[in-house]
Amino acid sequence: MAKEREKKQREKLNWKKELKLAPGYIIIILWVLFTFMLLGWILAASFSTTGDIFAGKALQFPTGLHFENYVKAWQSSNVATFFTNSLIYSLISCTLLIVICAPAAYVLSRFKFIGNKVVQTSFVSAMGVPITMIVLPLFCVVANMGLLNNIFASKVTLVFLYIGINIPYTTIFLLTFFSNISKTYEEAAAIDGCPPIKTFWKIMFPMAQTGIVTVTIFNFINIWNEYFLSLIFANSDNLRPVAVGLYGMLQSMQYTGNWAGMFAAVVIVFLPTFILYIFLSEKIIGGVTGGIKG
Amino acid sequence: MKKNKGMIVAFLAPAVIIFLVVFLYPIIRTVMMSLYRIDGVTDTMSLWQFVGLQNYTKLFTTAIFKTSMYNIFKIWFIGGAIVMFFSLLFAVILTSGIRFKKFFRAVIYLPNIISAVALATMWLQYVYSPKFGLLKSFFETIGLKSLANTPWLDTSHKFWALLFAYCFGMIGYHMLIWMSGIERIGPEFYEAATIDGANKPQQFRYMTLPLLKGVFKTNITMWTVSAAAFFVWSQLFSNVTADKSTIVPVQYMYVNTFGAGNAIVDKNAGYGAAIGIILCLCVVIVFTLCNLLIKDDDLEF
Repeated sequence: MAKEREKKQREKLNWKKELKLAPGYIIIILWVLFTFMLLGWILAASFSTTGDIFAGKALQFPTGLHFENYVKAWQSSNVATFFTNSLIYSLISCTLLIVICAPAAYVLSRFKFIGNKVVQTSFVSAMGVPITMIVLPLFCVVANMGLLNNIFASKVTLVFLYIGINIPYTTIFLLTFFSNISKTYEEAAAIDGCPPIKTFWKIMFPMAQTGIVTVTIFNFINIWNEYFLSLIFANSDNLRPVAVGLYGMLQSMQYTGNWAGMFAAVVIVFLPTFILYIFLSEKIIGGVTGGIKG
Repeated sequence: MKKNKGMIVAFLAPAVIIFLVVFLYPIIRTVMMSLYRIDGVTDTMSLWQFVGLQNYTKLFTTAIFKTSMYNIFKIWFIGGAIVMFFSLLFAVILTSGIRFKKFFRAVIYLPNIISAVALATMWLQYVYSPKFGLLKSFFETIGLKSLANTPWLDTSHKFWALLFAYCFGMIGYHMLIWMSGIERIGPEFYEAATIDGANKPQQFRYMTLPLLKGVFKTNITMWTVSAAAFFVWSQLFSNVTADKSTIVPVQYMYVNTFGAGNAIVDKNAGYGAAIGIILCLCVVIVFTLCNLLIKDDDLEF
């Protein structure tokens, strides 16, 4: 129905109708222009020089394009380390989250057992718990176990925490997804003599692929942008992910006065999620409202 | 189902165990910590001194904490009004049948996927910049000299600068929630209303709004949850305790417990825990009030 209407709209341009919508167009276009201006200028400034930026000529490139801003930022101010850290944290956490949450979500969506409702309710409520409620005891435990004195142990701890805080969301998201898959597949598999665990991995897991991909994109963006936990638990530059690393860099770059380099660093930090978004925006937008029930 | 018992346990155990370690245990311990005086976060329980509700009463007599609560309330209330208004407006416009809807929707949601640190930096170092800022050059172009020279980041403007920058990033998310609600209403309702002679504003006032009550509740809850965790923006807009115009509870807690704060002499991790509890209670109160005040079960569509 909706598709049909969309088609009709595209076929003939009804000027009377479009004119009625004009105020709406103006508001939205202004907003969109502002967003483009904001991001476009930052991008331009990152290819400019500090002198040009201060002369107000960031968009004209009077001295040409300066790719060396990126090279310098990447090499000198640890951006390479932050970037690799973030990449490792995000990829490992995202993979493990699926391995842990998909089976749990499946069991919760399919079987009736004591505690099912309790687990579901706890997970849903956990999504509303402010991080400040849990961070102090976690820090206490981790510090007393001596995990923060060792680089590798610290990294494992961080990944564990990223996984932990995203478990409720991931599980609930996949649970809704599994509930929408028909039970007939498992019944057929059971008749053919396939054990339930095998049925899950061979049949249900692949069938939930779209949901898994969507929730993984979200987890990736969340973990890439995570700030508070990383700030507290990553206590050296070797451990810091991009968000915290960028914060440190901003503090120092304001004193060195390398503004072009700072904007290059900003671009490096948001580029991965931005590229992901350009290719997958439809999926991401569809997933935003999929995880929460309206 | 009995033969599935092993499978249920095996499939559920990892998620539940991690959940217990990362959520349940810390929550219980934070509740306990808030009742004790604790000099260092890492102190073992034997070093804790029981003080009952003193941490809470002390907090509410501390000027800087009261300021931080007032700030977060302003962010929640004023920012909430701004975000709800614009996100609903955009959602209504985008669902009114305009062209390039998907493109516009994608651009408006875009700030949500950018790291808050990066986004805040863009606002701080570019939009509000007194030397080459977007606001400055914009007001210069249209000839408003006095506005162009406004120091957006001085103490009297900083809070509002922060609030608007934050709202800009949040509108896209709430717009998507509104849109999903509006799209569920279905075009046949509007067709029927048009035949009955209701014009667009009337349709919005008497159909869309009442049918969106449940969605409104979701939006408020989500907004409250993100307000309770509000931290990054404050940290970027002011160097910790130097200036109190943008301080928020989480920041105060961070400084108090982990921090390099100079303004805080009385270090006590119990305060940090109490702040966590207070924020959590705020979320619970808002959620309960929403459920009491907004009943959406009497409408079926």
